Amino acid sequence: MTHTLIDNSKDVELSTFYIGDTICGIDILNIQEINKHLEFTSVPHSSDDIKGILNLRGKIVTIFDLGKRLGLNTARIGKNSKNIIVNSGDEHIGFLIDEICDVVKANRNDIEPAPSNMGGVKGKFFKGVLKTEEQLVGILDIDVVLEES
Amino acid sequence: MIENSLNTINDKNTPSSDSLRVNVSLLDTLMNLAGELVLGRNQLLQGVYSDNSKATDISSQRIDMITTELQEAIMKTRMQPINTVFSKFTRVVKDLCEQLNKSIDIIIEGKDVELDKNILESIKDPLTHLIINSVNHGIEMPDQRVTSGKKSTGKISIKAFHDAGLVNIVISDDGKGIDPQKIAESALSKGFITEDQIIKMSEKQKTEIVFLPGFSSSDKVKDHSYPDIGMDIIAKSIENLGGVIEINSVPGAETVIHIKLPLTLAIIPSQIISLGSERYALPQINLRELLRVPACDVKNRIEKVGNSDVFRLRGELLPLIDLYKILGIEKKYIDTEKGIESPDRRENIADRRSKRHLVINEKDIHEADTSETIPFKNRSNDRRVSESSATNIAVVSAGSFKYGLIVDDLFDSEEIVVKPLGKHLKNCKAFSGATIMGDGKVGLILDISNIAQMADLSELVEERKMAKAIEDTNKVTDKSAILTFKNSESEFFAAPLSMVQRIERIEASDIELVGGAKVMQYRGGALPLYELSQIGNFKELSQDKLQEVIVFKVKDFEVGLMVKPPLDAHEIVVKLDESTFKQTAINGSMIVNGNTVLFVDIQDMAKKLDTERLQGKDLLVNKKTPKSDKTILFAEGSQLIRDEVATFLNEEGFKVVVAEDGFIAWEILKDMSDQIDLVITSLGMPNMDGFQLTKKIKLDPEYSHLSVIALTHDKTNNNVDESDFDYKIKYDLKELTNTISKRLNLI
Repeated sequence: MTHTLIDNSKDVELSTFYIGDTICGIDILNIQEINKHLEFTSVPHSSDDIKGILNLRGKIVTIFDLGKRLGLNTARIGKNSKNIIVNSGDEHIGFLIDEICDVVKANRNDIEPAPSNMGGVKGKFFKGVLKTEEQLVGILDIDVVLEES
Repeated sequence: MIENSLNTINDKNTPSSDSLRVNVSLLDTLMNLAGELVLGRNQLLQGVYSDNSKATDISSQRIDMITTELQEAIMKTRMQPINTVFSKFTRVVKDLCEQLNKSIDIIIEGKDVELDKNILESIKDPLTHLIINSVNHGIEMPDQRVTSGKKSTGKISIKAFHDAGLVNIVISDDGKGIDPQKIAESALSKGFITEDQIIKMSEKQKTEIVFLPGFSSSDKVKDHSYPDIGMDIIAKSIENLGGVIEINSVPGAETVIHIKLPLTLAIIPSQIISLGSERYALPQINLRELLRVPACDVKNRIEKVGNSDVFRLRGELLPLIDLYKILGIEKKYIDTEKGIESPDRRENIADRRSKRHLVINEKDIHEADTSETIPFKNRSNDRRVSESSATNIAVVSAGSFKYGLIVDDLFDSEEIVVKPLGKHLKNCKAFSGATIMGDGKVGLILDISNIAQMADLSELVEERKMAKAIEDTNKVTDKSAILTFKNSESEFFAAPLSMVQRIERIEASDIELVGGAKVMQYRGGALPLYELSQIGNFKELSQDKLQEVIVFKVKDFEVGLMVKPPLDAHEIVVKLDESTFKQTAINGSMIVNGNTVLFVDIQDMAKKLDTERLQGKDLLVNKKTPKSDKTILFAEGSQLIRDEVATFLNEEGFKVVVAEDGFIAWEILKDMSDQIDLVITSLGMPNMDGFQLTKKIKLDPEYSHLSVIALTHDKTNNNVDESDFDYKIKYDLKELTNTISKRLNLI
């Protein structure tokens, strides 16, 4: 669905956030909500990059440590930590991120293909890269990120 | 006709319809409740904003009630009578009967019992196959039934009823039943189980082999349109629904299958438990009981078998699974003084429950207990010493397999709403789902049967085998009955109860002195009286008005031993220390109830003290019975009994070769086959028991001529199949001699 968006409309809105020092973005249409519930229930035997599960108004949401999932450092829970809840298939998935930034409007033409490596993250996780005035924003491909390893 | 029956089968495969018929009045109730809920919410919000705690209280109470009613009403919309499933069975049975030329009546009870729509749909399949199985394999052909004395028309009954918050379905037929032996043999030939396992299995366990995956005992019935589905698949689908299936059968008479199902899948009653700061839900359907083992008892009741712990629960050994270990959570204990959490230093729950306590050694326990009360500084907050150091065990069962889960704390029983876990957590097999606790946090629901598998069932089976072996060893030694008595305040003694004929309490004045020896009148004769100071360096008996006399029977003679009360009979594990106190007429020592007790060898004592009479007897015996060319192989697990019987047989003039267990006996027999004339074996022994030994001897043409006498000292164990043995006698030495003489044609 996101593909069609990037292909067919001119503008994309990205919600950007920090994971360590890397700025990433997710298409805002994929995002269900951003919240600050950080009391996870850890699930024994789950893979390392799963932080735990959360009660989101009666639904059980699996929270990923996005940093770890992308092969970076484990997210440290600090005062700016947030969960980005995204829709994936018929369930909600959460990403624990270090700090949330602005919503960036981008023109499709400004998005370039992702390099094979960006700030330590493999290029396959990105749909593309957006060059803003200050920084490079990697646009995450959620489907790839959530692909079972 | 065949087409019709196929349709019946295919009905099950069509996807469940997405619409549901709901009574309008029920819908009205729901609507009404929804309105109430909105009102309640408004009140609550008002109370919260105006900071009016009383109003908040009232409205929260109101919302509580409405929620419960709403839950019930919504549940009702999903409930449907079980008859929607049952009604099809009449037809299925009728069709099958026509095809197989059988005659069967079907009786259906409890049509109105209601079940959640989802469960009802999922139960249709397994139930139908159970009925088909009953018709195919249970009920015999009419002529067969008549020959076995039954009515030619078979009977299948299906009954549904509510019990203990569960829906029970019982399917029974009066057919040929399930022969556990046949099942076991079939399982053996297919390699599902080993011969050793079969020996240890109860009849019921053998019957339950049918639930093993891939197992199917019966020949397939072909030529009809209903497929045969194995019991394993049926059992699995019942378990998937959170249900339990049990099978009971009387071969030749009936088969009863009992299914227990939860009313609904969405809300299940659960026991809440905790590990550290996390709480988990344990479905009530798996829960058998909750145990709290006080800290002081932990050592006695939790034993170590191999690397795992077992708990002795009403004589049964229950494998224990430490939930911490299974879930791989680091154990923490909270330092109450400093209020910090730090990793628990113990590596497993048994670290202070050491292996040597397998054999109860009272002295050790006493020592350990006293050391525990010494307040070591770094130990004072250890949770094992504080009051909360009790171990909580939830006894759970998955199918017929039962085990104990060690948890930190037990909370309330709650009705929990089951929520599925996300797809990324599918490989976390220990959990069947999640639920939301009262405080909004998420709790995981434990999957009891998967946890058993994760603990490595094979390991557990191994453990159980080992536990069983230990039990067997205990059984052998347990059965030694002894009589304890005192010589003085601080000298404790014991003798085998089997040697005791009577216990008399006499007046001191009844003791007569004849020729320097003490005697008393007993059954028209004089009974020589001795005391322990005569056989060793023990205190002389104090003179009291009343005197306790134990009358022992040694061969055909009686001797009296004067002792001090209390006299007490015990059944204990006899493990004698044979070095410390070994001397004439003393076999050795052992700790009983915290006292060092010396075991008196009565035969030796009588020999030493009553030389004249016994020597005369010995001469007599030797003259009368020149049996000494005969050799007896004697297998017995308990050393006390082994020594006693061997001594006795020796004195009766036989050569005796002893063996500690059946396996050693067999080895000896192979080595000395031409010398052994007779085998005596006890029944319960480690490694190879008396039954196996006898079977081996009887099956080997080289030894099958040998007589085997089974010696049992367990008076309760009467259900022994005597046909295996030439003779089975209770522990009676005189009768034993007679039997031996008869078997060896000496009389």
